[in-house]
Amino acid sequence: MARFLLRRLVTSVVVLFGLGVVTFLMSQVLPGDPARAAAGRNATAEQVAAVSARLGLDKPVWEQFPAYLGNLLHGDLGTSVFTQRPVLSDIGDALPSSLELVLAAMLINVAIAVPLGVYAAYRRGRAADVAARLIVLFGAGVPVFWLGLMLQLVFADRLGALPLTGQLGFGREVPSITGMTSVDALLSGDPAAFSDAVSHLVLPAVTLAAAFVAVVARTVRSSMISVLDSDYITLARATGASEWRVVIRHGLRNALVPVSTILGMQLGWMLGSTVLVESVFGRRGIGAYAVNAVLQNDLYAVIGTVLVIGVVFVLANIVVDVVQLWLNPRLRQPGGSRASAAPAAEPVEPGVVEGAAT
Amino acid sequence: MTPLLELDDLRASFPGPDGPVEVLRGVTMSVAAGEKVALVGESGSGKSVTARAVLRLDRDASLSGRVLLDGKDVLGLSERAMRDVRGARIGLVFQDPLASLNPVMTIGWQIMQPLLIRGVKKKEARRRGVELLGRLGVRDADRRFDDYPHQFSGGMRQRVVIAIAVIAEPALLIADEPTTALDVRVQAQVLTLLRELAAERSMSVLLITHDLGIVAGFADRVVVMRHGAPVEQGVVDDIYARPQHPYTRGLLASVPRIDDDPSRRLSTVDEAALEGEVR
Repeated sequence: MARFLLRRLVTSVVVLFGLGVVTFLMSQVLPGDPARAAAGRNATAEQVAAVSARLGLDKPVWEQFPAYLGNLLHGDLGTSVFTQRPVLSDIGDALPSSLELVLAAMLINVAIAVPLGVYAAYRRGRAADVAARLIVLFGAGVPVFWLGLMLQLVFADRLGALPLTGQLGFGREVPSITGMTSVDALLSGDPAAFSDAVSHLVLPAVTLAAAFVAVVARTVRSSMISVLDSDYITLARATGASEWRVVIRHGLRNALVPVSTILGMQLGWMLGSTVLVESVFGRRGIGAYAVNAVLQNDLYAVIGTVLVIGVVFVLANIVVDVVQLWLNPRLRQPGGSRASAAPAAEPVEPGVVEGAAT
Repeated sequence: MTPLLELDDLRASFPGPDGPVEVLRGVTMSVAAGEKVALVGESGSGKSVTARAVLRLDRDASLSGRVLLDGKDVLGLSERAMRDVRGARIGLVFQDPLASLNPVMTIGWQIMQPLLIRGVKKKEARRRGVELLGRLGVRDADRRFDDYPHQFSGGMRQRVVIAIAVIAEPALLIADEPTTALDVRVQAQVLTLLRELAAERSMSVLLITHDLGIVAGFADRVVVMRHGAPVEQGVVDDIYARPQHPYTRGLLASVPRIDDDPSRRLSTVDEAALEGEVR
């Protein structure tokens, strides 16, 4: 298992390097001059040239890239020409808030999609199945900003049940430990601040989750259907187990194997699509930072953001791998290849023991 | 004496694209306590549906007629009461031991389920499970109890499936082609095991098979099914020696024999001739 994780880590490094190369090259061909952007609108040609020399932008591309990579290895993502701060600390400020939003959205996503998918599979073809599909499609079909505004209108404005925007109520403060407001409130032992932070988190998280629920619910439904049709489920029923036990204890774990892969991918996609939600709900975050960086032609900030999102993506997938190890015992078998470990596939049997019978 | 299981004009139909399709057209047969009955017939004759109908396992099937277990009709039971029949009164074994076991749960967990859901303590359930698995010929049963199905061979898996079916000590075991997916040597082992188990526990067995070769050495009585209804039933020796129904004759004639002239074409049931004779 340690070897499995090590192999994943090595692959991840290769993936991240590739990501760095691609984004760097893309930034090179993008229109706009970062040196001019950094020097300011009214800078003279000499000033721009000086800035360009200071940032190393006057050097040819093949010299800029190795220098950049060397810095990367030291954890130096470069300096933002816009904020004049290291990109890493800019991202360090923005990322936790986005992660908090993404994790909350993921929680809501799973909490809604999995039960919905299981129920739809169990009642397949019936009214409940169709209703579940319609609800889910509606969530996936409405634009994020519209849904956000509607939720604000109903829950914040009309009902006054939840706050409109921001991350904490007026006059409330929590010490910055992780940068995630709700977690910090919890860590600093302030339950009032925690519930305040959570109430600020609910609407944006629901908005962000809405588009993702559909895919997960459909995946859960289809994998659950094939599980429910399998012999071992019929035999579980034939032991006298209750329907709940048959579906949840015997079936669900099998159905979750393909779902965990989807969830891992979605975590990355979510982080890349927080910007609309964050701007509707007035939250700090990596989405807003990235959009700003692109608009300002802030080369290193763009690359840094993409890389950090890439790192989160890769980490999420490592987590998924660990979850799958737990879900699917066949993966734990030493030497068992991943290709042969699909839940429905015929297993390879290296260590099979044929006992002498009679 | 009331038979243990009595099917009286059992009919089953499934929803199809053009209205319900009748799959069982009045199955009447019985299994006495301690008796081993073989239900034979070609694929699609309704053998498996009969087995599943007895336990009411097909949720979209509509059943009529009577399924009497100890004289009580299970078709009228509530879903809750039905759960006490499944596993505890009637155990079930399927054809394919690869598909019959849950790939993500240990075999021990699966073997203990019928006991655990009936309130047996975990320690006690484990003790009985290990003991039964050992009795069924799995070596190192205690150590292998926490293994997963993929770590077992086909024959060993079928023993695990049998353990799940009989651990709650049902009075009747329905074995739906339990040896079809196994190689010949393991087939013989599993059948011997089933016979011994039936004798030890005075358990009735309803063996569903299309393999007439294994019926003679195993069953006391044979029920021959065709197109969703029994066409002939009787004591094994009588059926083999003096088959009455032309279909049974055809079925018996189509079993290849070791002393057959290899140049002779294998015989099949002559459906066309049969239709004329039956109708």
